[in-house]
Amino acid sequence: MRRRVVVTGAGVISPLADSPAGLHAALCAGRSAIKPIELFATEGIGCRQAGEIRPFEPRDYLGERNLRPIDRTSRLLLIAAQGALAASGWTPELRARCEVGLALGTTFCSVRTIAEFDRRGLQLGPAHASPLDFANSVINAAAGQTAIWHNLRGVNSTISAGEASGIQAMAYAADLIRGGRAEALLAGGVEELCFESFLGYYRAGRLCGSPAGGEEFAIPFDARRNGFALAEGAALLMLEDEEAAAARGVAVAAEVLGYSSVFAASLEEAEAIAAVARAVRLALEDAGVGPEEIDALSASASGSVAVDRWEALGVAAAFGSRAAELPVTAVKSMLGEAMGASGALQAVALLGTLDDGALPGIRGLESFEEDFPLSGAVAETRHVSVRRALLTAVGADGHCCALVLGEPAMAGGPA
Amino acid sequence: MTGLGLVTPIGAGREAVWEGLLAGRSGFAPVESFDTRAFNVHLGAEVRDFRAEPFVRRLDPGALGRASQLAIAAARMALADAGLALSALVPERAGVVMGTTSGEPREVERFDDRFLAGELDRVGAEFISLYPCHMIAAHVARELGFAGPNAMFPTACAAGNYAIAHAVDVLRAGRADLMLAGGADAFSRITYTGFARLGAIAPERCQPFDRNRKGMIPGEGAAVLVLEPLAAAVARGARIYAELAGYGLSCDAHHMTAAHPEGDGAARAMQRALADAGASPEEVSYISAHGTGTPTNDRLETLAVKRVFGEAASRTPMSSIKSMIGHTMGAASAIEAAVCALAVAEDRIPPTMNLEEPEDDLDYVPNTARNTQVRLAMNNAYAFGGNNASVILRKCEV
Repeated sequence: MRRRVVVTGAGVISPLADSPAGLHAALCAGRSAIKPIELFATEGIGCRQAGEIRPFEPRDYLGERNLRPIDRTSRLLLIAAQGALAASGWTPELRARCEVGLALGTTFCSVRTIAEFDRRGLQLGPAHASPLDFANSVINAAAGQTAIWHNLRGVNSTISAGEASGIQAMAYAADLIRGGRAEALLAGGVEELCFESFLGYYRAGRLCGSPAGGEEFAIPFDARRNGFALAEGAALLMLEDEEAAAARGVAVAAEVLGYSSVFAASLEEAEAIAAVARAVRLALEDAGVGPEEIDALSASASGSVAVDRWEALGVAAAFGSRAAELPVTAVKSMLGEAMGASGALQAVALLGTLDDGALPGIRGLESFEEDFPLSGAVAETRHVSVRRALLTAVGADGHCCALVLGEPAMAGGPA
Repeated sequence: MTGLGLVTPIGAGREAVWEGLLAGRSGFAPVESFDTRAFNVHLGAEVRDFRAEPFVRRLDPGALGRASQLAIAAARMALADAGLALSALVPERAGVVMGTTSGEPREVERFDDRFLAGELDRVGAEFISLYPCHMIAAHVARELGFAGPNAMFPTACAAGNYAIAHAVDVLRAGRADLMLAGGADAFSRITYTGFARLGAIAPERCQPFDRNRKGMIPGEGAAVLVLEPLAAAVARGARIYAELAGYGLSCDAHHMTAAHPEGDGAARAMQRALADAGASPEEVSYISAHGTGTPTNDRLETLAVKRVFGEAASRTPMSSIKSMIGHTMGAASAIEAAVCALAVAEDRIPPTMNLEEPEDDLDYVPNTARNTQVRLAMNNAYAFGGNNASVILRKCEV
């Protein structure tokens, strides 16, 4: 019998809230984090909105320890890790005795830190480049800083798979536990909002409003959608071997039942749709459940013209007749697209739904394309009895991951 | 492991690289990628005369970053080396997992050049379609049509080992029938600037484990390994280089750029890899060292090996090919894993070059390759962020 993987706590910092309960409440209340950016100037850019954490006072969370060597990405991650460690009862004393790992999804870590390090060297000469910035210029910097800050001596892996990074990291961590390689890992993702990536996504035509420079409609699945709102945040779940968690006597918030990772080798629509469908089927198979046993979907949809369509049609293909009645949420309607953090934010939000049955609506959703198959995608928050839910993460570059979370009551039963 | 592909500063392809390493060839030359006049060091280990066109056939080579080009070249060579035709593979059951330190650093460097020149209007869609590091694994998969698991491990200078370790688990879990695993990095102004600022770049040559060593030499390159389940490899009559017998990962949780003063994390990674492989230190015939040539790394690495191997430490050959090809960053441990496989397959060990006064009493295989039976090889890699990874390759007895 394979080892079972449970969630024993979570931590989050996002533009909407800085706790899992707060995030769930904000999403269910239909609050949006998408606002005009203040973090940097957006002159000359045809998109002005993003999910920015503001105000952001890291000392409110991290106290008086020296934050100077820690950049924005790492600060976000330190805060999410602190929350997840506290929620799961991993005290400093316990971490000194036992190894805790970290599996982190991210796209850039901090492209701002990397670019500023480079520009300083160019402007002032290499002798004036900042050693502190150089240490943070590696893409695994946030994971390393978090390991140092919180004394996490176990596996420390940073994983990039586009918008699917967060779920990929959770799947990776769960596989390490299933394989007996680790007993406890924080898993999730981080991304900071910065000028470099914002301009990049704008020029790539991926931001809302940027294809035509028109009004910004970052509304998942809506026929009017014209790109996503870029966002930032960090979210981590503590994943543990079920028996080890039971031995510690901690409460279980959810069980990771199954997952998958596939790739669309071409971005032609048919192939991308097939990849999404394959990811969903493989995750259900891995979890040992059928489509009728999935009570809700937390979709990756962000407002992307192409990718939302791939996802809707791919999920529908995998769910068959169940697709039309499957309750669907898409939290990026309120949180924006936080890239490497997105899947983990979806997962943390879903813990609230597993707990109280409230499934957030898709804010602003009004109109569908004619062949849109997911009738359970609605604007209003509703109550659903959720024993098992599916998370999907679909990246514009072809990465597709899916993960099944189950309610904790199922833990302890037969696998 | 049934195939390997290599692009390194001393050549490309299995034969050129292996013969070069056994002969002690050096890949160091003044940097050509960018102007080093503002630096007090000038040597690099660049890949010269590389042409992507013979390897990048389906995608447009001009629309790829350099690390992606190097990775695709290594991947094509590895598949050919494994005797695998794309037509014989099920695309959905074939995956790609790669490691890197910087992804496609030249793309962000181009962004910065435009930023400082006041020409941000020239930043186009290519920044986001090329720069994010996940594009390296994505480009390899698109070029080959591989639709299975796809991920990038940007775990800095140990990244190749992380990627290989993950590929092993993907195969063991039955999530794919074939995995390409490796690492790729392109020569980078950012990396060079950083290591120069830390005083970690050697001015003339790279001398791992020598008392008078002065640092590492940054490099670039790529390596890709073909990994498949043993039964499948046997069934198709494949030549098997080695079995991926085990791995161990750990984190120092101590310092971003310096190793733990007692080699704690490095030792735990080695111990875990040995346990995973079901092997004792006495059974290890060869250690491929991280061996960058910096004063701190090499001292602590020797310390960590002594901690784990005890009395067996001084009897176990350990060499660093970085003395010849420099530090190829995220590609380094993937190249070194390929070298371990070749050592296991051919019973030969590449030397540590430029070793005149060994700092310690380990067998660093000084200056001359050695012919000796290699049943078990351990590949060690350490990185910024305290990321440690050891991978063990074993002679395959079918």
